Amino acid sequence: MEIIRYRRDVWGQEVILGVSWDLLWLVAVTAFLLLAAHAIFMAALAKKKAMPSAEGKRVRRHEGIDRAFHWIMAGSVLVLIFTGIAPIIGLRISWLNIHWIAGLILSFVCIFHTIRALFWQDFKSMLLGPADFKEPFDDTIKPGKYSFEQKGMHWAMTVLVVAVIATGITLFLHIDSPWWDRPSVENEATLGIFFLLHGISTLGLIAFTAIHIYFAVRPEKRFYTRSMVKGWISEDELNTNHDTDKWKPE
Amino acid sequence: MSSHDVMPEMSLYQPVRVEDAIGIANQFADRGWLVGGGQDTYGWLKDRAKSADALIDLKGIESMRGIKETADGIEIGALVTLTELSNNPLIKERYSLLAQAAGKVASPQIRNVGTIAGNVSQDVRCWYYRRGLNCYRAGGNLCYADTPEGMNREHAIFNASRCVAVTPSDTGPALVALEAQMVIDSASGQRVVSAEDFFVGPNVDITHTTVLGSGDILTAVRIPAKWANAQFYFEKVADRNAWDFALVSLSAAMRVNNGVIEESRIVAGAVQATPRRLTSVEQAVRGKARDEATANSVATLASRDANPLNYNHFKMPLMDNLVKRALRGQA
Repeated sequence: MEIIRYRRDVWGQEVILGVSWDLLWLVAVTAFLLLAAHAIFMAALAKKKAMPSAEGKRVRRHEGIDRAFHWIMAGSVLVLIFTGIAPIIGLRISWLNIHWIAGLILSFVCIFHTIRALFWQDFKSMLLGPADFKEPFDDTIKPGKYSFEQKGMHWAMTVLVVAVIATGITLFLHIDSPWWDRPSVENEATLGIFFLLHGISTLGLIAFTAIHIYFAVRPEKRFYTRSMVKGWISEDELNTNHDTDKWKPE
Repeated sequence: MSSHDVMPEMSLYQPVRVEDAIGIANQFADRGWLVGGGQDTYGWLKDRAKSADALIDLKGIESMRGIKETADGIEIGALVTLTELSNNPLIKERYSLLAQAAGKVASPQIRNVGTIAGNVSQDVRCWYYRRGLNCYRAGGNLCYADTPEGMNREHAIFNASRCVAVTPSDTGPALVALEAQMVIDSASGQRVVSAEDFFVGPNVDITHTTVLGSGDILTAVRIPAKWANAQFYFEKVADRNAWDFALVSLSAAMRVNNGVIEESRIVAGAVQATPRRLTSVEQAVRGKARDEATANSVATLASRDANPLNYNHFKMPLMDNLVKRALRGQA
């Protein structure tokens, strides 16, 4: 199994072509096995906890605009992954235009989200500090608005999405678009490195998207998914899973 | 590119049944190379621009030869040569469009060995790709023809998606005009694909020109009776009259009643990676007389939405003029 694909450029020099798509299968199989192992562990061995009630007073967790952002981002990431891997796995669809349009949508939504998070939201609630690392190992420590796992997932996705967008826009500049004609490529090796980075970040995005979806549908986490759809969690869910000294919802 | 006097070493298989050929093709998968007339094959292999472990010579398969009449038209064996096609009385009488297109392919020597299946399945002729450069079509990250400096006089003016090569087939557009069906055999059975769907553009599959996958064999081409004895027009414009690929070609089939075009299928070759149906022209001429006035009024529809490259703007008026010549009929 190769990690990186190489080709000879127009001058006969060996240059990087991109990441080896053998790794796509490695990522898919590894993610599946790890998530299956987690599911089996949780079903058979983990300590069963009573599920908090969804009834009673409701507490707002996500504003409508933030939920809309999340789902637009989720949709565009899924479209990007599907259109990106379709030609690799042999699906014959006209993928490229859909791919870059989804990429542009993701870019604009991320810019919007970043500005909103910095100036209108409680940005500090998503910061990951040294104290957060104790949380998974101590049942007595409850998180504020976001748990250690949620913060970790957020920042991992942030790094991957920024990497995918940055390399994707660079590659987008090298194809014809409604706004420009493709330029000459002076250095195939540099272009190959951008394809490599785009491929690696895509593989990471696929893995973390799989993990994210898995936890979104897990029974004990499903109320978070509901809150991303409807905006609220119950007071019982709040008190069971969060420290209200650290997060005081409206 | 270094030159070579001899072919590379590879195994040669000469099956006499389609099933055996499919078995061998599946055994070697991407490392096997199906060959009929070999006119598109030997250049690739001798130049070492592409390679194969096994050559699967289909010429011994009798069931893939001959032209026969069926209940709904005719069936042409995939190994029928272009000379046989252009000289066949049945084809000449009923589907002269195809006979003319086949008769314009390359040179007599090539037509004597080149087959209908090879002509529709041949790879593109972009010289950057043929030279063995690692362009998009070869699995790379670039198109050398579509750059400010790229030599792209013969390339696409429509539907380029990274790769800008065009279909080099003369018979392909004629078969699309005639609503031909391509019969494809594989290990999973037989499937029939319309000629229009047989060709694929780079937006869908940048490394292939047809739907044929590993282990697929195009065994026959069926032409329905629908267009038999219709009015046809074929013209191919190339830099040379013999042994050259089209700059633009036009294949048209028209049902004309009392001088009025009731239905038509007009297809241009060498303007994009697949034969291009000129549906806007077809719709515009429906119910109109086949004459100079109609030709003049609709011809420019042909090149509408074209997106020419640096050196092939000439294809737009050329295409319009071919449409005009096709539609003005005998007037």
